[in-house]
Amino acid sequence: CINYTPGLKPVVSTKTPPIIFATPTKLTFDSVYDYAGKNKVPELQKFFQKSDGVPVHLKRGLPDQMLYWTTMALTVGGTIYCLIGLYMASQPKNK
Amino acid sequence: MTHQTHPYHMVNPSPWPLTGAFSALLMTSGLAMWFHFNSTILLSLGMLTNLLTMYQWWRDIVREGTFQGHHTFTVQKGLRYGMILFIISEIFFFAGFFWAFYHSSLAPTPELGGCWPPTGIIPLNPLEVPLLNTAVLLASGVTITWAHHSLMEGDRMSMLQSLLITIMLGIYFTLLQASEYLETPFTISDGVYGSTFFMATGFHGLHVIIGSTFLTICFFRQLNFHFTSSHHFGFEAAAWYWHFVDVVWLFLYVSIYWWGS
Repeated sequence: CINYTPGLKPVVSTKTPPIIFATPTKLTFDSVYDYAGKNKVPELQKFFQKSDGVPVHLKRGLPDQMLYWTTMALTVGGTIYCLIGLYMASQPKNK
Repeated sequence: MTHQTHPYHMVNPSPWPLTGAFSALLMTSGLAMWFHFNSTILLSLGMLTNLLTMYQWWRDIVREGTFQGHHTFTVQKGLRYGMILFIISEIFFFAGFFWAFYHSSLAPTPELGGCWPPTGIIPLNPLEVPLLNTAVLLASGVTITWAHHSLMEGDRMSMLQSLLITIMLGIYFTLLQASEYLETPFTISDGVYGSTFFMATGFHGLHVIIGSTFLTICFFRQLNFHFTSSHHFGFEAAAWYWHFVDVVWLFLYVSIYWWGS
C-alpha cells in the first residue's frame, strides 16, 4: 500500500532542522555594547526637526519647561535678592 | 514653505545669555557677600544658576547641531574660529600669572633675601611628583590623539577606550596635584612665592578639571552615536583645549617647578 494521502501535504518540514547554534542570529563585535543603547540619533533627529514652532530650548516639552522655569526663577529671584543686599550693604553703618 | 538660501545658522531666541549674565552678577556679588559679610547664599545661587545655564545652553547646541543639522561647513568654520579665539584669550589669562612669577623671581627683592626661592621657602622637588604629573599629561596627549584617529577611522571601541584612558589620566593628574597641595611646606600666604605658585598652578588645576569634564561629555556623546567619522567638532574642540592645558603645564613645570627651585 503506497503512503499517499491525496490533497494533504505535510505542513511541517520533514527535513532535519539545523542545530540551534549553527546559524547565530547576529555576528558582530559590538554586541557587548548593545545593552548601552542602540543608535537613537535618527529618531532624535526626526523628533527635533518637527516644525511645530517650538524653540529648541523647549522642544522636549515638560522637562524642558520645568528646567527653564527653575532657572529663570532662581536667576531673577537671586538678582532681586542681590540688589536688595547691595542696597543694604551700601547704607552707612548705624553707630 | 520657506527655506533658507544661505549656510548660516539663525538661532532660535534663547534665554541662556540672559540667565548667564545674571548668574555672573550673582557670583561676583556673592563673592563680595562671602568676603565681607560671611554669607554664602548669593554665591551658591550664582554657581547653581551658572551650572544650569551652561547645561541648557550646551544641550541646545547639541540639539541644533546633531539633531537639527544646523552645523553646516560654514557654521563649523565659525565654531572653529570661536574656539581658537577662546583658547587665545585663555593663553593671555595665564600670561598674566607667568608675568607675575617672572617679575618677582628674576629680580628678588631684599625682603625675600635677594634670592629665589626666597629665604625660608622649601620648594617641591621637581623630579618627584611634578615629573610624574608631566609624564601623565604628556601620555594623555598621546591617548587623545589615538582617540581622534580611531574616531576618524570609524573604530568605535578604540575611540571609547582611548578617550576613557585620557579622562582617567586627567583625573590621576588632579588627584596627584591635590595630594601635592596637602604636602607643600609653604602656603598661598607665604609671600610672593606662595602667591605666584598657587595662583598659577591653582588655575591650571581648575582648567584640568574643566578639560576632563569636557572630555567626559564627549565620551557620553560618542556612546550615544553623536559623532561621525567626518563630523565631530565637539570632540576636536575638547582635544584642542586638552592640548592647551598640557602645554600650560609644561610651561609651569619648566618655569616654576624646575627653574624656580
